[in-house]
Amino acid sequence: MNKQSFGYTVLFTAVVSFVFVLALAVVNEVTADQIQFNQEVRLVRSVLNAMGVEFDDDEHARQLFNDVEQVEENDLSLYRYSQNDEVLYAKQYSGGGLWGPIRGHIGIRADAERTLGLTVLEHDETPGLGGRIDEPWFQEQFRNKRLVDGRIRMGSRDGQGDFDEDSGEFDGITGATSTSEAMERIINNHLEEISRALGGAS
Amino acid sequence: MSSAPAPGAMLRDNLWTNNPIFMQILGICSALAVTNLLTNTMIMTIAVVGVMGMTNLTVSLIKSFIPRKVRMMVQTLIIASYVIVVDIILRAYLPDISRALGPYVGLIITNCIIMGRAEAFAQQNPPLLSVWDGVTSAFGYMGVLLAIALIRELLGFGTLFGYQVMPEIFEPWIIMVMPPSAFFVLGIVIWIGKAIMEREGAPA
Repeated sequence: MNKQSFGYTVLFTAVVSFVFVLALAVVNEVTADQIQFNQEVRLVRSVLNAMGVEFDDDEHARQLFNDVEQVEENDLSLYRYSQNDEVLYAKQYSGGGLWGPIRGHIGIRADAERTLGLTVLEHDETPGLGGRIDEPWFQEQFRNKRLVDGRIRMGSRDGQGDFDEDSGEFDGITGATSTSEAMERIINNHLEEISRALGGAS
Repeated sequence: MSSAPAPGAMLRDNLWTNNPIFMQILGICSALAVTNLLTNTMIMTIAVVGVMGMTNLTVSLIKSFIPRKVRMMVQTLIIASYVIVVDIILRAYLPDISRALGPYVGLIITNCIIMGRAEAFAQQNPPLLSVWDGVTSAFGYMGVLLAIALIRELLGFGTLFGYQVMPEIFEPWIIMVMPPSAFFVLGIVIWIGKAIMEREGAPA
């Protein structure tokens, strides 16, 4: 058969495409469960971390998550978990950062007076600058933080983090003012929504 | 390249005298994008080594069956398939690294070095030699990218592979974290490389 003929070319292209696409489909099928599991674990860890609930490993986290309820408080969708007679809430937040959307979870006590924690799941901020919002030191600042007038303000300290639980402030990231301000705006918008929803319920 | 090039000469050629980045100036886009952290650069270039080796092997194996008209299309199909496999594997087994690299893994498909070697070498040479060519070219690429990442991470973060190496008082250069610095560093690396070559009196 003439290898440069039209018929051969079409046949060859079809066969090659079929073989490679089939191989990709197989690889995709084989790893689909693992990828879904990874995403699920990430979500579970994020919700629990935002609530300040401690867990040993992925399996333990998934177990604990079975007791987390998804509830509607005044039309606001929240995660609820009871621990030691205390009711903890977490909400998925999202909002515009400097380059793209920032998504994660924020946890708050039932009395809406203190946060429980903050996580960042997704962002497109500049690596090494705004991207540092996904580092533990930045997120740990929101652990058990008292809200002042229902808000957490961005303070400007040394860029090392503000771990005073009663300051009502978090430390922005040096060299990433826009991202820090975006976080302040996003967090407070969501805190306000949550407080309103929880306040309305009591 | 004439018939049956010697593996030793190929190694030297691909790593140094004909380095894909600073002699052929190919693959610049990724050299700029993923070089601000050594760990990311390392994983990305390892992926390129794998993809290039496999692509050259596959192209070389089926070269006599490929009609000339669709030659490049088939090469692209092969490259894209291997890159997607790498992407899926990273997402399944190394999810943190996959997130850090983001869209750059997919962009390996557009890395001109891979298609360049498939077209220039694997189309005319036997399979094993083609694998060797692909792998050594990728190592040449890896070497330059790691050199750039070393400078950028050291000055931009004061760390190497995430470990603090600069003293506390060191003020990180924010420009080194941003993409533009890769232009300066790449330019300087090419300059130094060529200056050394000239001194060696390397064949042009």
